[in-house]
Amino acid sequence: MISEFVMIVVGGLKMGAIYSLTAIGIVVIHKATRTVNFAHGAFVLCGAYVTYGVVEVLHIGYWAAFILASLAAGLLATVLEFGILRPIRQADSFAVITATIFIGIGLAEIYRLVENTEMLAVGGMIGGWPLFIGDAMITREQIAVVVGATIAATFGIAIFAYARFGRGMRAMASNPRGAVICGYSSDAMNALAWFVGGAMAGLAGAFAAPSTGVSAELSILMVTAGFAAAVIGGFDSLKGALLGGLILGVAETLAAGYVSSAMKNAVSFLLIFVVLLCRPQGLFPEAKIRNV
Amino acid sequence: MFSGPLVRVLAPSLFLLALSVAGLGLPSYWQYVLALSVSAAVIGSALAMLVGYARCITIATGAMLAIGAYSGTLAVLRFDVPFLAALLIASVFGAVAGFVLAVPGVRFRSHNMAMVTFVFQAVVIIVLRQSKSLTGGAEGLQVPVPHILGFSFSDDGHFLVLCGVLSALSILPLVLLLEGAFGKNLRAVASNENAARAFGINVNLHLVTAFVWSSAVIACAGAIMAPRFRIIDPDSYGILASIFALTYPIVGGMSSIWGGLMGGIVLRALPEVLRPVADYLELIFCVLVVLTILFFPQGFASMVPGFARRKAAKNVGAGEPTFPRNVIEDKNMIERLAAPATSPEPLGRPLLRITGVSKSYGALRAVADVSFDVPHHAIHGLMGPNGAGKTTLFNMVSGLTLHDQGEVFFDGMPLSTVPVEARIGLGMTRTFQHAAVFDKLTCLDNARIGIGRNGIWQSTIRSAQWALSLRQASAEYKAAMGALDAVGLAARAHALAGSLSLGDQRRLEIARAIISQPKVILLDEPVSGVSIDEAESLRLLLITINRELGTGIVIIEHNIGFLVSLCMRISVMSEGRVIADDDAKVVVNDAHVRRAYFGERETAA
Repeated sequence: MISEFVMIVVGGLKMGAIYSLTAIGIVVIHKATRTVNFAHGAFVLCGAYVTYGVVEVLHIGYWAAFILASLAAGLLATVLEFGILRPIRQADSFAVITATIFIGIGLAEIYRLVENTEMLAVGGMIGGWPLFIGDAMITREQIAVVVGATIAATFGIAIFAYARFGRGMRAMASNPRGAVICGYSSDAMNALAWFVGGAMAGLAGAFAAPSTGVSAELSILMVTAGFAAAVIGGFDSLKGALLGGLILGVAETLAAGYVSSAMKNAVSFLLIFVVLLCRPQGLFPEAKIRNV
Repeated sequence: MFSGPLVRVLAPSLFLLALSVAGLGLPSYWQYVLALSVSAAVIGSALAMLVGYARCITIATGAMLAIGAYSGTLAVLRFDVPFLAALLIASVFGAVAGFVLAVPGVRFRSHNMAMVTFVFQAVVIIVLRQSKSLTGGAEGLQVPVPHILGFSFSDDGHFLVLCGVLSALSILPLVLLLEGAFGKNLRAVASNENAARAFGINVNLHLVTAFVWSSAVIACAGAIMAPRFRIIDPDSYGILASIFALTYPIVGGMSSIWGGLMGGIVLRALPEVLRPVADYLELIFCVLVVLTILFFPQGFASMVPGFARRKAAKNVGAGEPTFPRNVIEDKNMIERLAAPATSPEPLGRPLLRITGVSKSYGALRAVADVSFDVPHHAIHGLMGPNGAGKTTLFNMVSGLTLHDQGEVFFDGMPLSTVPVEARIGLGMTRTFQHAAVFDKLTCLDNARIGIGRNGIWQSTIRSAQWALSLRQASAEYKAAMGALDAVGLAARAHALAGSLSLGDQRRLEIARAIISQPKVILLDEPVSGVSIDEAESLRLLLITINRELGTGIVIIEHNIGFLVSLCMRISVMSEGRVIADDDAKVVVNDAHVRRAYFGERETAA
């Protein structure tokens, strides 16, 4: 019994770490550019697709997939920000939100048109015998994804919190005009934030590809999960998004293991709903210090 | 305007009817396509209410269509309900679903509201798929051919006419509400919620009502079309259906119901026209939406001259705004007004009594233990450096901010239990520091909202009164024109408020505040950013209102000359406290005031 529970939780942590990475990308973009990005799932899809190409077509190792997937998704995000979202941001948030919804669908459609298949399978990241803790079997892949995605997520949080351009993004987030006066270029900062957010989505796609495969549905699956994780965490909190993703992943596998597979699909919606209604600031809101 | 209100209300329905009848000449397949288009026009109109007017992003349209289709079909299958009655049942189910969605939904705005509708959409589809015994699960449900009084509508042409008639009927209430006062109130809510509340519009109630109406109509459209699909299954009402329905008002245009309507007709027919490139359809839609947002933010309907009524109206009265003629032209009146203000007879209790009111934000005491009285018919000034707490005090008096301690009495009545929306009914209106006109409405409509009959029933009744050109509606029109005339904006009555200069916007705010003939008006910096000439005409206007209507005025202003020439008494606030409260002339010579106010002003300026 306990070993089954452990296996379920570890499986949940694996998907959860991928959700976290996706959610952190959404939060970075939202914090820095005040844009709610419903196209984020398409960046994950882009990362997964590049991973397929690198691993299954070019037969290069996963290390190259991580680099190329994050670069490709980051560039895609930057191009969208620069070409489409930057001009309409002046109008209103309503237009921007609807634009990202349709950009996300459109990108997934492009993928579907290019690869006219149900699903592309991507081989495992790490082979080798599984490890046993008591009776619980844990694959090396699970460990690699949990550890790798968590490290990547933590790295992303650290960039935003400590690096020089992270400071610029935070400045832009709290007061765009003030940041411009202080010498930050708002276009460059926005583009940078989208690159970082997109790159994290790309990494999430690389981590997800072996277990989810590559398909147009991956886009909507990941944007839903990423948003749910971000909402659970408080939407503006990077650490909250990290924990929110892990909670969501574990809750999903628990629901699938102990209730039903239909419940697994409903979990993310239920969590969004309950958190929004009972605790709209999220479970882990960022501490706000008011300077008087 | 050459068309009467009734024509404007009936036009969309007549258009759908005419389209359906004209479609009878088409081959059978295109009759089927046209029926789809006509029902999409209904969906587009319903979304015009929610997305175009109320600016709520909803991705629950598919779920509402499914609720209508399933409840209507099941009513026929399980309970042998006649088809028309089943449509009513479907609409009721849709209305209830809209209510269930809106009650949690309207607590949020923008992306969080979109998320709530997304959750609703997903949960409805999951439930439909899981309850196999009732809905047939993923395999779907067979829908019988509709019968009305024994006549069976199995032929495409017959069904097209049925669809046209029912669609025309179902959008009637929508058009009535949107073209009438309810639609103006929704636009007001979308453009400035605080100002809308200060003029008696209950924001959440209006949004819930919009959700209920639009969901009922969408569900009805779902039930009308279900027989044509022969089999309904959960997947055809999925998230993509919701998202593509959103394209109707966005691409069609959101400035009137015609945008959603035409968007629905054209975009629903597009897949059939584009059969040869069907694979690229979704991509084409997405590109179309993004291009529309980038290059035609007003939508395509705004490019057709007939639909661009608002735009054309902007240029009708683009002449020089006239200053209050009755004031300017009547020399005697100016002399009369220029006479020093005398304190009027004090009535038994003050108009406004503020006792020990405090408000803290964290460690910051924005307003600390403020007390003063404003007698009836007085013009009372409120001055103090920036951050002194003047606007916070106004927000507490008008009810937008709740105070921590103390009480505000209005004509002897404690206000803390009176919601902000009810205060205009007591006779209290205000203007805002940052001009808060409803920019997407004409000056005339802004003034009409100022009348204050904006409860949910009142705005519905007013919509009907307007459509039927009843006496009440023309009385409102006259009152609104009168108020605009008083501030010198009559010539620009049909211009959009957002197109006015800042000075004109401030005057429009005053027109909106005086039209209900309130007992007191709270003016927050009415002449900041306004030219000297305009400030002078505004001063005369305020004195006229005060003398002729007996309206009490409380006014926040940094322009000391303006304040002293207008006010009998001035209270001075600094760091949340009242540091002086006396006759205007005394106050400006007070040493404390000079230190707190002029000292800081000089360094700040």
